[in-house]
Amino acid sequence: MKERFAIGFDPFVLPFLVGMVFVLGYCLFGLFRILWQLPREDRRKFLLSLITPATALKNIWDIFCNCLLHVKLWKRNKMLGFMHSSIAFGWFMLILLGHLEVFIYCPERVHLFYYPIFFNYFVANNESTIGGAVLFFLMDFFLLLVLSGIALAMIKRVRSRLFGMRRTTRPSMLDRIGLYSLWAIFPLRLLAESFTAHISGGSFLTIPANWVFRQFLGNDLNLLPTWWAYSIALGIFMVVLPFTRYMHIPAEMMLIPMRNAGLRIRHPRKGFAKMQVLSCPGCGVCIDACPMSVQKVNIKDCTVYLNRQIRRGNEKRIEEISDKCLLCGKCEAVCQVGVEGPKMRVAQRSVRRYGLTPDFAAIDTAPLVQAAAAQVSKAAAGPKVLYFSGCMTRLTPSIGKAVTSLLGKAGVEFTWMDREEGLCCGRPLLTAGRIDAALALIRKNQEIILGSGASVLLVSCPICYKIFTERYSLPGVRVVNYADFFAELLEQGRLKLEKSDICYVYHDPCELGRGCGIYETPRKLIGQAAGIAEAEKNRAESICCGGSLGSLTLDFAHREVMTRKALDNLYGSRADAIATACPLCLSTFRRYSDRPVRDLAEVLDASTVSSFQP
Amino acid sequence: MEKIAIIGGGIAGMEAARRLLQLGHEPVIVEKSDHLGGHVAGWYKLFPDMMSARELVEQLAAGLDGVTVYYRTRVANMNRLGSGYSVMLSNGVNLQCGAVLISTGFRLFDASRKEEYGYGVYDHVVTNSDLEAWLGGAPDYRIPDNPASVAFVHCVGSRDLKAGNPQCSKVCCMTAIKQAIEMKEKFPQADIWCFYMDLRLFGKKYEDFYIAAQRDHGIHFVRGRVSEVSEDIDGRVVLKAEDTLAGTPVKLSADLLVLMSGMLCNEDTQSLARMVRADVDSDGFMRSRDNIYRINESNRPGIFFAGACTGTKTVPETVGEARAAALDIHNYLSGND
Repeated sequence: MKERFAIGFDPFVLPFLVGMVFVLGYCLFGLFRILWQLPREDRRKFLLSLITPATALKNIWDIFCNCLLHVKLWKRNKMLGFMHSSIAFGWFMLILLGHLEVFIYCPERVHLFYYPIFFNYFVANNESTIGGAVLFFLMDFFLLLVLSGIALAMIKRVRSRLFGMRRTTRPSMLDRIGLYSLWAIFPLRLLAESFTAHISGGSFLTIPANWVFRQFLGNDLNLLPTWWAYSIALGIFMVVLPFTRYMHIPAEMMLIPMRNAGLRIRHPRKGFAKMQVLSCPGCGVCIDACPMSVQKVNIKDCTVYLNRQIRRGNEKRIEEISDKCLLCGKCEAVCQVGVEGPKMRVAQRSVRRYGLTPDFAAIDTAPLVQAAAAQVSKAAAGPKVLYFSGCMTRLTPSIGKAVTSLLGKAGVEFTWMDREEGLCCGRPLLTAGRIDAALALIRKNQEIILGSGASVLLVSCPICYKIFTERYSLPGVRVVNYADFFAELLEQGRLKLEKSDICYVYHDPCELGRGCGIYETPRKLIGQAAGIAEAEKNRAESICCGGSLGSLTLDFAHREVMTRKALDNLYGSRADAIATACPLCLSTFRRYSDRPVRDLAEVLDASTVSSFQP
Repeated sequence: MEKIAIIGGGIAGMEAARRLLQLGHEPVIVEKSDHLGGHVAGWYKLFPDMMSARELVEQLAAGLDGVTVYYRTRVANMNRLGSGYSVMLSNGVNLQCGAVLISTGFRLFDASRKEEYGYGVYDHVVTNSDLEAWLGGAPDYRIPDNPASVAFVHCVGSRDLKAGNPQCSKVCCMTAIKQAIEMKEKFPQADIWCFYMDLRLFGKKYEDFYIAAQRDHGIHFVRGRVSEVSEDIDGRVVLKAEDTLAGTPVKLSADLLVLMSGMLCNEDTQSLARMVRADVDSDGFMRSRDNIYRINESNRPGIFFAGACTGTKTVPETVGEARAAALDIHNYLSGND
C-alpha cells in the first residue's frame, strides 16, 4: 500500500468537509439547546442514565436494532425493512470499514474527516495483501447492499403499494433535494471508485466496472470530476439534512437514550417533544394508520404532518391538527421511531388558556363518601368491591345492567359507586389538555374511593380505567378492569359459561387495547361464551370507532365516515355480531351497525348458565 | 285508460287513489304490509279534533272500490318505458303505468338507538307509537296498571345531530300533549311530565291544547333535555334532566316513560329513488322540484310524491298533498300541464 499524494489533500473534498462541519455543528448546537430546554430533573435523569451501565448498554443495543437494522420495520414489511436497513446498515459499515482502512494503512491520517470517505482516491494497490482484499471485498459488498436499498427506494417512490403503504407523505422541496442527493451519493461513489480501481485497487464490483469503463473511455479524465460529484452530493445532503426529514438520522440516536431514561413530554415544542418532532422520518406509516385518513380532507391531520407543521412553526395548523385528533393512539403504535402523536397533541392542548375554569375543589364529597362507605361496610367478608361505571355507561345502561347481573350471579357483593351520583373520572378533561381541572377531579374521586374503605375498584369503562391506573394514587385499592375481574370469577368457578351459537367479532377499544394493553382477556372470555372471529385489523392495529372523546373539533358527519370504515373492517370477519368492551365504542357502533353490537358484559351475561351457590 | 302505480298504501296513497279513481284513472296500490292505512291505522285518535284514526282510514278505504291493491308486495324494479314506467312487483306482476306516485311515508326512529333513554333496556319505557297502539286497545306489558307518574320525552331522534337527524319531526310536540292529556284522563291521579327543548305548536288549535293541558289537566312542562335514564330497585325509571328555565338539575322517578320518536325517511324510498334516478335530499327524504310550489313533483317526468316521503308531515298536510298529487297526475296524463 502506498499513498498517492504526500499532502493527503485534494480540493474536491471541500464540499464534503463543509457539509460535515455544518451538520455536526448544527446537531451539537441543537442537542445542547434541547438539553437546556429539559426541566432540571429530566436533564439530571437523562445525563445519569447515560452513565448507568444498564441503560447505556440498552441504548447501544436499541440504537443498533432500530437505527441501523430497523428491526421494527422488518416486522411491519420485509421490503420496507430491507430497504431501510440496507441503506442504514450498509452506509454505517462503509463508514466503519473506511475508518478501519485508514487506521490500518495510514494511521497518521486518522484525524482527517475526509480520509475514510475518499480513501480509494488517496491510496494505491490495496487489495494486493490478504487484509486489503478482504476489506475491499467488504467495501464493495456493502456498497452493493446500499445500492440495492437505493434502487428499492426509487421503486417505492413510484409504487409505494409494493411496500405495504397505500399513501405516503408528499415530500417538501428541501426533502426532495435531500432525497435526490441521497440517491446520487452511492451511484456516484460506485462510479468514482470504479474509475479509480486500476490505481487504488478494488473488488468484485469496482474492478469489473473499471475494466468495462476502460474499454471505451481509455483515459482517466473522468476520475477527478466523479470524485468531485460524489463529494458535492455528500455536501448537499449534509447541508440540507437539518432542514429535511433526514434529520431523523441523528435525532433518533438521541431520542432512544432519552426515552430509555424515562423522559416524558412536558412541553409541546421543547425538549423531549422537540426531539420526537426531529426524529420523525416522515415515512407516512401513520397516514394509513390514522382513522381520519378515510377522508381526504383529514389526511393532512396525521402525526407526520403535525411534526412537519411544528418544524415549520405554522401555529394555526398546529392548533387545528392538535384539536382534531381522536387520540386513538394508532399512529404511536405503528410509528417506527416512537413519536408519541397523542401525547404531543395533549401537550399542545394544555398550553391553551380558558376564560372559565370549573371549580371542582368546592365539591363536597362528604355525602358521597358516606353513601359509599355505608354500603361497602355492609358487605360480608372478602374483598370489598366498589364498582365505578363512569359517565359513558350512563348513556349505555345495558352495560351497567349486564355487569350488575353478572356480579349478582357470581355472588359478588359490591357497591355501585356512581349509580346515583358520581364524579367524572377526569379523563375527558385530561385529553382536552385541562390537566389542573382533571387533577382536581382526580383528588375528589380519590377521597371518595379511599374514604369508602373498598379494597377493589372494579371499572367497566376503559376510558376511566386508563386514568385510574395511570394518574390515580389509591394505596391499598386494587384497580381492576371488568374483563380481568370476570376472567378471575370464571377461573374460580363462580361463573359458568355455556357457548352460544352466535359468532362475535371483537373490536379492540383504543383505550383498552393500545391504551392499557389488554387484548387477550376479552377474547378469551368471548371465546368461552360464544364463537369468536377476528377482523383484518385487530389488536394494536384496531381501527378507532370514531366516537372518541379525544377529538375536540371533529363533527358527526366526519365521524360517521370513520365509524362506517371501522365497521367495514369488522364486517369483513363475517361474524353475526360485534362485541366490544367500551361504552363509547358500543354506542358509536350501535348508531350505524347493520348487526347487533354487544358489550363484553352483555355477551357473558347472556351465556352464563348457573348462578353461584356459596 | 292508463294505470297509475301508487307505491305505499298509507293515508296519502289511499286518498290519492280515491281522487284518481274519481278523475277517471286506474290507480293500483302497492302496499308492503297486509293492511292499508300505514302508521295511521295503528293510531288511536288524531289531533286537534280527537277524531278516531281508525274512522279516517275506514272513510278513505270506502272510496277505494274498484282500485286494485297488492298487499305484501314491494317494487322489485321500475324503469322508464316509452312515456311511462314499467313497474315490476315482487309478486311477479308487471304494471305499465303512465305515472307513478311515491307515497311511501316515513319510518319511526328506532328509540333503542338512543340507548341512554333505556328503550329495550328498562321495563317501563315505550314510544309514542307503542302508547298510541295501547290507547287503541292493544295490550302492552310495559305499561303499568295504575301509574302514579308518567314522563314524556320530546325530540327522541329528531333535531339530534348525534342521532344523525337534524330535522324536526313536527308532530311530536303536539302528539305528546295529546297523549299526555289522554293519559291524564285515564289516570287522573297521575303526575304527567313533559320534557321538551321548545314546543313547536304551529297548527290550528295546537296552542289551545297546550294551554288546556296546563290549565285543565295540570300537566307539568319542563324545558330541558333528559340526559340519562336509569332504573331503581322497584323497576321505576329515574330521569335526570336540567330544568333550563329554573336553571337547576331535576331528578324524577316515573312509572312510565314515553319517548317521542321522530320521523325518518323510509330506506325503501331511497332504493325506489335510485331505480328511477329521482333525487334524494340531504335529510334523506325525497327531493321535490321545490319546497314551495311543486312539492308533489320530482325531478323525473311522471314521478310524483305525496305525504311524508318528502319530509315530516301532519295528517291533514298529507291528505291535502295527496289530493294535489292526484290533480297533478291527472293534468300530467291529459297533457294540460
